[in-house]
Formats: sequence, C-alpha cells, structure tokens
Amino acid sequence: MYNQEAFIEVIKENEGLIYKIARVYTSTKEDEQDLYQEIVYQLWKSFPSFRNEAKISTWMYRIALNTSIASLNKAKRRGSHLPIDEILFNKPDSEDTEKKERIEDLYTRIRKLNPAEKGIILLYLEGNNYDEIAAVTGFTSTNIGTRLGRIRQKLITQIKK
Amino acid sequence: MKDLWEEMSKEIEKQKKITDSLIIKMIHRDYKNKIHKILIPEVVGTSVCFAAVLFIVVNFQKLNTWYLLACGIMSAFILIVLPMLSIRAIHSMRTVNISSNNYKQSLLEYSKGKMQLVFVQKLSFYLGAILIVVILPVMGQIIAGKNLFMTTSLWFLYVIAFPFFYAFAKWVFKSYRKSASEAEIVLKELDS
Repeated sequence: MYNQEAFIEVIKENEGLIYKIARVYTSTKEDEQDLYQEIVYQLWKSFPSFRNEAKISTWMYRIALNTSIASLNKAKRRGSHLPIDEILFNKPDSEDTEKKERIEDLYTRIRKLNPAEKGIILLYLEGNNYDEIAAVTGFTSTNIGTRLGRIRQKLITQIKK
Repeated sequence: MKDLWEEMSKEIEKQKKITDSLIIKMIHRDYKNKIHKILIPEVVGTSVCFAAVLFIVVNFQKLNTWYLLACGIMSAFILIVLPMLSIRAIHSMRTVNISSNNYKQSLLEYSKGKMQLVFVQKLSFYLGAILIVVILPVMGQIIAGKNLFMTTSLWFLYVIAFPFFYAFAKWVFKSYRKSASEAEIVLKELDS
C-alpha cells in the first residue's frame, strides 16, 4: 500500500484543477461527477509512478487529460460511481450572476473546441507557459504558439456569432 | 478571458470542499462490479455465438444439399468471426496508456481506435445481415427438418425484411459516419 495520506494531500491541494478539467470535458453534472471520480482513481493508480522528477501539477495534468480522452467514448457509467454531494460540483459559488454567466459562457465555448485545442487552451488558461504545455501535450513549444493563435481566433469568432 | 479564468480559479480555491473520506471512497470503490458490467455482454454474446456454432457442427450431417451445407459453413464462419472482431475492437479502444502517454499520443491512439471501431461496426452490421439470411434455412433444416428454400415463405420473408433492413442500415451508417469523421478531424488536426 503506497502512501495514502500523501495522495490525499495532493488531491486536496489540487482539487480545483480536477474540477476544471472534468467540467471542460463533460456537458452534464452526472458525467462531470463520473469523470472527476475517474480522474482521482487514475491518479491514485498512477501515484507510485510519480517520482518527483516532474512538477506535481504537470503529472496531474497529464493523467487527468489522458483520462478525459479515454472516457470520451465510454458507455455511460452512471450508477457505478459514488453519489457526491451536489454542493461540491456547484463551484464556483459566486454571488455575481453576470460573472457566473460569463464563466458558463467561457466553458461552453471551450467545450465546442476539438479535443486537441481543448487541452491546450485549458493548460494555457491555467497559467502554464509554452514549454510546460509542450511537456504535457507532446507538441513542440513553437507548435503550441501557432495553435494558441488559431484557438484564440476561433474563440473570438464564437463571441462575434 | 485569462483574467476571468483566474478569478474563477481563485473562487474555486477558496471553496475547497473535498474530504479525506470522500477521496478514500473514490480510490477504493469496487471496480470489479464495473469490469463485470462491461464484460458480461461480451461474454454472453460470445457464448451464444459459439453455442450456435457447436449446434451447427453437431448437426452438420442434417444439411443434405450443397446450398444448405454452404449456408451452414457460412453461418459458422460468421458466428466465429463476429464476436472476435467486436472484442478486438473494444479492447483496442481501451489501450490508451493513461500514466505514460502524453496528450498527443493519447489523442492519436483514441482516434485511430475509434476509426477502427467504426470500421468493425460496419463490417459486423453487414456480416449480421448475411448471417440472418444464411442461418434461417440452416436452423429450419436442423430443428424442423424442413428445407425452407423449397417453400415460398422464406423468399417472402426476405422480400418483406429487405426494405426494413435498408432503412435501418441507412440510419445506423449515418451515426457511424459522424463518429468516423469526428475521429478523422482530430487526426488531421494533430498533423497540422
């Protein structure tokens, strides 16, 4: 049995990251819960392979994004996961309705992107630089720059529509 | 856009709600049930197909004309190939290596697996249709001792069933085409 306490700490410190990824790759609350739990489970399974050589967030992004892809085509797994308190999945709990709408609109626009673009924009918005995005995605840093330009253009076009 | 994301991230950070016990439940939940749920249809389907093959082989001597023999051989062949094809395709979809792949590799594997699955689904659909045509006279001969080719009812059944099959095939292939083209777009996007 590997270090459960250390793993719990890692998850608690980075729960926001998992929440945001699960939200970008799903469109319903149930699917979001499923993916959230699947990511936590896959992180636990891969935890022994994490050797502090990479940043913990880089490792987490890699596993979480791969899990999201692997879950894209799976049959609905409803019923096989834990029912989680809805409050946990209603973040962010902002009072500002306008901001809430803007956030929801941003998620909707990101969801419309193809999977490659989704991963890149998510990592970019999370504050990663081109080299860090390249380390997670496997694209070159130059390619990341080109792709981000295209993605920004797409998102702007979506706003204008 | 980035500012809005940062603001949202800060709010999420403020509301950390996940508990130790919830994480423990998530990592120790019973995955055996889930695996069984996925495997049961595959195992049942394969068993039914192989049981049908065994039934045909055991009663092979009852197929007393060359065309019934041909139908029997074709039925057995399709009943062996069909489950093997679907199991292989489903397993190839599950081979995304979550812990060691980078995002690009996972997307490539996923999209290629999806295209292969669509191809196998199409092939299975055609094989299934052929199976319905060839297995009817075989079962008629083995179970009831009747050569259905000598009765008009079999041909009547084929003529009635064909338009339904055609309409169903068109509807099924429409969704297959959509899945395949989505996977193609991802593959093209990765190359660009």
